[in-house]
Amino acid sequence: MSTELPARSRGVIGLLEENCTVCMLCARECPDWCIYIESHKEPTPAEPGAERRAGAAGAAGAAGAERRPGVAGAEARRGVAGAAGAEARRGAAGAAGAEPRRGGRQVRNALDRFAIDFSLCMYCGICIEVCPYDALFWSPEFSYAETDIRELTHERGRLRDWMWTVPPPPAHDPGAPVAREVQAVYGPGGPPGVSDPGLSGS
Amino acid sequence: MTGEEILGLVQSAGLDAAVEPSAGLGAAGAVAVTVTVPAGNWLALLTLARDRLGCDFFDWLSGVDEAEAGVAVLAHVYSLAGRHHLLLRTVPAGGQPRAGGQPRAGGQPRLPTATGVYRGAAWHERETGEMFGVIFDGHPGPGPLLLPDEFEGHPLRKDFPLAARAAQEWPGAREPGEPAGPGQPVRGRRRAVPPGVPEGWPAG
Amino acid sequence: MYRTSGGPCRFTPSSRAGRYPGAVAAVDLPLPRAGRPAGLPVVVDAGRGCALWICDAGLACCAVEVAAALSRLDPGLAEGTAEVNVFVVAGTVTDKLAPLVLAAYQQVPEPKFVLSFGACSNSGGPYWDSYCVTKGVDQLIPVDVYVPGCPPRPEALLAGLDLVLQRAPA
Repeated sequence: MSTELPARSRGVIGLLEENCTVCMLCARECPDWCIYIESHKEPTPAEPGAERRAGAAGAAGAAGAERRPGVAGAEARRGVAGAAGAEARRGAAGAAGAEPRRGGRQVRNALDRFAIDFSLCMYCGICIEVCPYDALFWSPEFSYAETDIRELTHERGRLRDWMWTVPPPPAHDPGAPVAREVQAVYGPGGPPGVSDPGLSGS
Repeated sequence: MTGEEILGLVQSAGLDAAVEPSAGLGAAGAVAVTVTVPAGNWLALLTLARDRLGCDFFDWLSGVDEAEAGVAVLAHVYSLAGRHHLLLRTVPAGGQPRAGGQPRAGGQPRLPTATGVYRGAAWHERETGEMFGVIFDGHPGPGPLLLPDEFEGHPLRKDFPLAARAAQEWPGAREPGEPAGPGQPVRGRRRAVPPGVPEGWPAG
Repeated sequence: MYRTSGGPCRFTPSSRAGRYPGAVAAVDLPLPRAGRPAGLPVVVDAGRGCALWICDAGLACCAVEVAAALSRLDPGLAEGTAEVNVFVVAGTVTDKLAPLVLAAYQQVPEPKFVLSFGACSNSGGPYWDSYCVTKGVDQLIPVDVYVPGCPPRPEALLAGLDLVLQRAPA
């Protein structure tokens, strides 16, 4: 059955994992406690140019550089307690070896599990509003009833599939105020030469 | 009726009342006054409001748990002719916490029932009784209204935490990047407590 | 109890209340019975020789969406069709009302299916932490289909009824 749905309809939530930095804000702000996030820290791979620069920075730092990969790997295995010590050691080694920090041995959060329990979700949208990196989106799909309530907890893969049903943002209503992100660039009047600054798109 | 007239009538009745304007009660610009009396003058105040101040519309009666000060009982009445609101307030004895901040498990504030003055207060007093533990003497049909019969405790008191929030693990308790595992402290930082759970509850 | 379109829903005080502790009244539901004239609520001709009798326990806001959904369906009962009863729980199940919901479910004749409509009846929903809410109607009765939403769209109820039909005996 096809239904005419209004713009910004709240049907289901989609996750764009590439934007997620595991800041945990959505899980903390959710009033129903229905977002389950698991993650771990892992070192980001260094950029190729930075590696060469780091290596050439000094032979004195070579010992520190050799020590660092092992430390970083061990830190990932040992978890957070290891990370605390490893970062302290890394900082000391970097200072001692005068290594540039940029381009090597940064640590990022890697997402292990992101699940939303839609049997609890009350579709308030707080998670989508609070996400600073625009990783969560509303989709108007509503037909996902299940016979087993455990199937209503959607994991990462299913949340990504909902992303393909997210419509493009609708045009602003005529006479609407200029969007804040546009005002930040162009001022309260919006881009020059645009008759109705509330309309999205060029 | 203006605020000054209400003030004069209340003070002339000799009820040891404290009168102050209410904020946020009624439409903007409406006359709204809060009158606080000792518990012994509660019925006299209600009778004064109905007979002398023209408040013939009984809106609601409920309680406010004011922690150290005890459980206050409030009633909102309105005059349809005079278009003024009255918030009648009293703090019955017995609701104060015990010395040393101990929870007042045994405290039962008592107040005479308002149903003799306003019949509509019957269900409101039943609800206030089960939610705050206030006993209304002389109530025609006391008993739980909204809570099931086997319910223990008074849910709207401040020392009644929501059990589900303490028992359930908060998904936001983990720090970003902290791997799943039983109760790992994060670099010595104090574990975040979810909203709605008092510190250190349940004890032990 | 929400009144389904058409037929009466009579409260019978105390005659059957003693059977269920805490019940304040027993409820006569407009349940299918032999000889009921056509047009009474709420029969859906599901088009496969199967008619759904929908008994809606509309407890809270979800009842409005169920009403919207049921108002779009054509009532009718063709001769010789198989009848399936669907007990729809729409709204928050409080601890005080739980015995009545159970009593209503037990009055629905077989073959019956239960459809839980909305977050509150699925799992407690926004009131999952409340002191007086049953965390999901599946704590009282076996549920066949869960329709998520807060509230779900009326079309979501129809999609949920499709799922019920898939499980109904052919």
